[in-house]
Amino acid sequence: MSASLSLRTVDKVYHPRGRLAVHAVKALSMDVERGEIVALLGSSGCGKTSTLRMVAGFEAVSAGEISLANRRIERLAPAARNVAMAFEGYSLYPPLTVRENIAFALKRGRLSASEVSRRVKEVAALVEIEPILDRYPNAISGGQQQRASLARALVRDAALYVLDEPMGQLEPQLRALLRGRLKRLLKDRAMTSIFVTHDQTEANALADRIAVMEGGVLQQFAPQHVLKEKPANLYVATFIGEPPMNVFDASVIRSEGCTTFELHNGPSFGFGDNELGPEVRQAIGNRRKVVIGVRPHRVVLGSGSAETARVVSNQWLGDQSHVAMAVAGKLLVAVSHARVRAGIGDSVPYGVRAQDLHIFDPDTTVALAHGARAA
Amino acid sequence: MERSSIIERVLRAVLLTLIVIFFLFPIVWILLMSFQTNEQILRIPPSLSFVPTLENYKALISGHLLTSAGSLDIAFMRNLGNSVLLSTCAVVLALILGVPAAYAFARFKFWLSEDIAFTLLSFRFAPPLLVLLPLSLYFQDLGLVDTYVGLIWVYQLIALPLILWIVRGYFEDISPDIENAYRIAGHSWLRTFFKIAVPLAGPGIAAAGLLSFIFCWNNFVFALVLASADKQPVTVGALAFVTASGIQYGQVAAAIVLSVTPTLLLALYAQRWLVEGLSLGAVKG
Amino acid sequence: MTQIEIRNLHKTFKADAVLNGLSLSVDRGEIVTLFGPSGTGKTVLLRLLAGIYPPDAGTILLRGRDASGSPPDKRGIGMAFQNFALFPHMTARNNIASALTARKTNAGEIARKVEAVAQLLKIGHVLGHSPRELSNGQKQRTALARALVADPDILLLDDPLRNVDAKLRYEMRLELPALLKRVGSTVLYVTQDFKEAMALGDRVAVLLDGRIAQCDTPARIYAEPVNVGVARLFGDPTLNLIEVAPQLVDGAPEIRLGGMRIRLPASYAVAAGGLYLLGLRPEALRLVEAPGPRTVAVELVAVTPLNEKSVLLLTMQGGEELLASEAGDRDEPRRTGPAHVAFDLDALLLFERESGRRFIPSGNGEVAHERIAITSHR
Repeated sequence: MSASLSLRTVDKVYHPRGRLAVHAVKALSMDVERGEIVALLGSSGCGKTSTLRMVAGFEAVSAGEISLANRRIERLAPAARNVAMAFEGYSLYPPLTVRENIAFALKRGRLSASEVSRRVKEVAALVEIEPILDRYPNAISGGQQQRASLARALVRDAALYVLDEPMGQLEPQLRALLRGRLKRLLKDRAMTSIFVTHDQTEANALADRIAVMEGGVLQQFAPQHVLKEKPANLYVATFIGEPPMNVFDASVIRSEGCTTFELHNGPSFGFGDNELGPEVRQAIGNRRKVVIGVRPHRVVLGSGSAETARVVSNQWLGDQSHVAMAVAGKLLVAVSHARVRAGIGDSVPYGVRAQDLHIFDPDTTVALAHGARAA
Repeated sequence: MERSSIIERVLRAVLLTLIVIFFLFPIVWILLMSFQTNEQILRIPPSLSFVPTLENYKALISGHLLTSAGSLDIAFMRNLGNSVLLSTCAVVLALILGVPAAYAFARFKFWLSEDIAFTLLSFRFAPPLLVLLPLSLYFQDLGLVDTYVGLIWVYQLIALPLILWIVRGYFEDISPDIENAYRIAGHSWLRTFFKIAVPLAGPGIAAAGLLSFIFCWNNFVFALVLASADKQPVTVGALAFVTASGIQYGQVAAAIVLSVTPTLLLALYAQRWLVEGLSLGAVKG
Repeated sequence: MTQIEIRNLHKTFKADAVLNGLSLSVDRGEIVTLFGPSGTGKTVLLRLLAGIYPPDAGTILLRGRDASGSPPDKRGIGMAFQNFALFPHMTARNNIASALTARKTNAGEIARKVEAVAQLLKIGHVLGHSPRELSNGQKQRTALARALVADPDILLLDDPLRNVDAKLRYEMRLELPALLKRVGSTVLYVTQDFKEAMALGDRVAVLLDGRIAQCDTPARIYAEPVNVGVARLFGDPTLNLIEVAPQLVDGAPEIRLGGMRIRLPASYAVAAGGLYLLGLRPEALRLVEAPGPRTVAVELVAVTPLNEKSVLLLTMQGGEELLASEAGDRDEPRRTGPAHVAFDLDALLLFERESGRRFIPSGNGEVAHERIAITSHR
């Protein structure tokens, strides 16, 4: 399939000549396939919203190219780009009712009145705002305004749907429901869409692929299971996952048939060559220092494990236990889907298996190996 | 968009210059006039070239006005002093009364609170001339005519509603939680008012003070009727330049320059208080 | 000993009854999380306790004494606000110290205490900054430090982690219980997040319709909710609710589910003839290969990842939907299509349809037997 949206080495610099030049987006290149749902994920100030605004046309591109459906768009006015956008700050027209606001988006399409009314009804049902269609924006709640704004974007026929934090203001229960419906709608109609979020649960639930951004740089662009199983670098590893990966600085000690990782002021983990394959050993090379990581869900708790650690907190959430243990002066978090009976201050045996180990270069922070394979 | 061509920038500069000239022209013209004699000002056709003279300023400061009809004593410097005294006292009084009142109106909803606040504002709607006649009658009964106390009292009526309504808005913008947090930390409400509310509304109080100072300074009618020569402010004192032998334009211009200076200096001084947006970053961003 | 006691509290704002006869008591040194959907008056309750608003009716006893008429500065409590409410014209140091200056502690003592609490919360390096120079996380810690610095024996925390990013929120969730226990205060902690409520609270108080619907340990609230309203607030995804009408067949109670007849234990016999909602937690449902005595034939429609779990969307005969969840790290992905779902009778919840109250089977009050993964050794 051909790429629908394509960004080529896009840069964004704010106040380029001023003293406080801000390089918000750096050499960003990515392709979004037709019908694909892509999330831009990152903490605040990572450049995700700047990227979105450049695609929608509200922000000029400092350098690089953006094309949509094989057409260069980076110099077109927003209205000429055939992009529908839902804003985070809702931005409904106050003198129009919710219904008129949504229908307004269809004005340019020259549709019959009955067709407009049918479409408005359909999208209003989807986001559960039917009862408030005839109210004015200032008479409805923030969450309702957000849903109306979402409806106004979705009702259009556009080559690309751009959604800025589409569900930030909604109640958790409703959010879960709308996620499912939104995903089905986007998939059924093969609507290419790109949305910004800081909430990875939302990104996981909606997106086919997730672009993790930090400091204006695209860190990794992959489906969520790849981000989790094979994070490209330490940033992604410690950002993705709820809770994210445990990482520790370690010294590598090679001895006959065995590789040992010694944590700074902490325990050592030794793995025989039968566990830690040649591919991984080669990836480590002759580095003396690495960063090792293990996801909380992969930390093995219970008897049979060699090391023990003191429990700092143990929290049961109804369907999983989160146990934090003091290891090498930091917290090692373990998550179990069964209930763990351990009080604060207890010693608990734990272990890490070779296939769950992630190894990173301490200087470049780039991943060297995941489990049995080199990165 | 930050990409602007050279033509755009040149055009922008030209436009800005035109606007500045348009708005500053009267002020510049008066400044030039103040350094000319009446004859130079009134010559036809007018000319921009003249030999500057300090005669007008000398006459004002010494208090001797030399006109073609003879010499005349004027009390301009005394008038200026009166203006400073009256406006300053009135604004200080209005701040002392108005800031706590504004806080009360902002924070507490009591019986008739909105009506009282509106009544105070309505003082500003009434045409001064309408109020003047009953006021001067009362003042005669009370013996307040031609006293500083009486004038300050009238002047603060100009300042109070302004201060009340501007400062009230600033108090309302302060999150009550900031004050609640200080109360819970163990401080009395009075301390909370002085340590939290007043500093945070500082820019608003400064703006309201400055604005009401200007209003007081520019007042004419009240002082004209209620004050005699030795208590008149500059606005009334300027009438003296309309003499039997004609209007002394040079001195009028110099008087304007001198009387604008205090307010201008005050505004420049207060500017940093006005700009400083203290309340930013108080609650989550 | 009871440190906070609230009796029959009422508070109405503009004809909107926010609190409607609320009662709650909190023991000394206990952490109680106050949890409920937004707009249920959690924040209002904290403000009544702090003395910011007066109650319309009811009594608040702090340390055994009636607090009515006592202003906020005389109640001797610490409080952290959701929006931080830092003093913008003071440095972080003075913000924290403000809780001590009213008590006339000497300057050296104040400086020492501020340093100590800043160390504990890892904000020692930003004490000289003004609030606008702090990151959201630092603001939150400064607000917490201000609430803690005077060692108040009663601490009110109003959703203090709401406005910080997910990563920091998670870290604080792990750190806070130990921190609060070290301070030793009695804590009332407001949150909208059920995970936070379960993780932090010795007990969770669920606020619904202006009253405490249930106040119990996290595990019991989850396993034995008093009514369907409480049950729905916990779990991600939340529990499945299916309308059932238990009937006696050959003297034994039975329900029909997705065209299958499921026999219930004899203790459910009293329920026969009534209308009920069957509540099934998604994690209590298991997909199995073959049909069995307590399985229902379903169609696996979709598998969606949710954090570290997989959520399975199942449809039963007749089109009714069920959500099941399982650990998300299976070696081979599930394939959609026909399947069978089995459920633990232990985790079965039954609610009266009209009142929403949970049906308690006769004979035993214990319903859930939690699976024990490991036992610890000291």
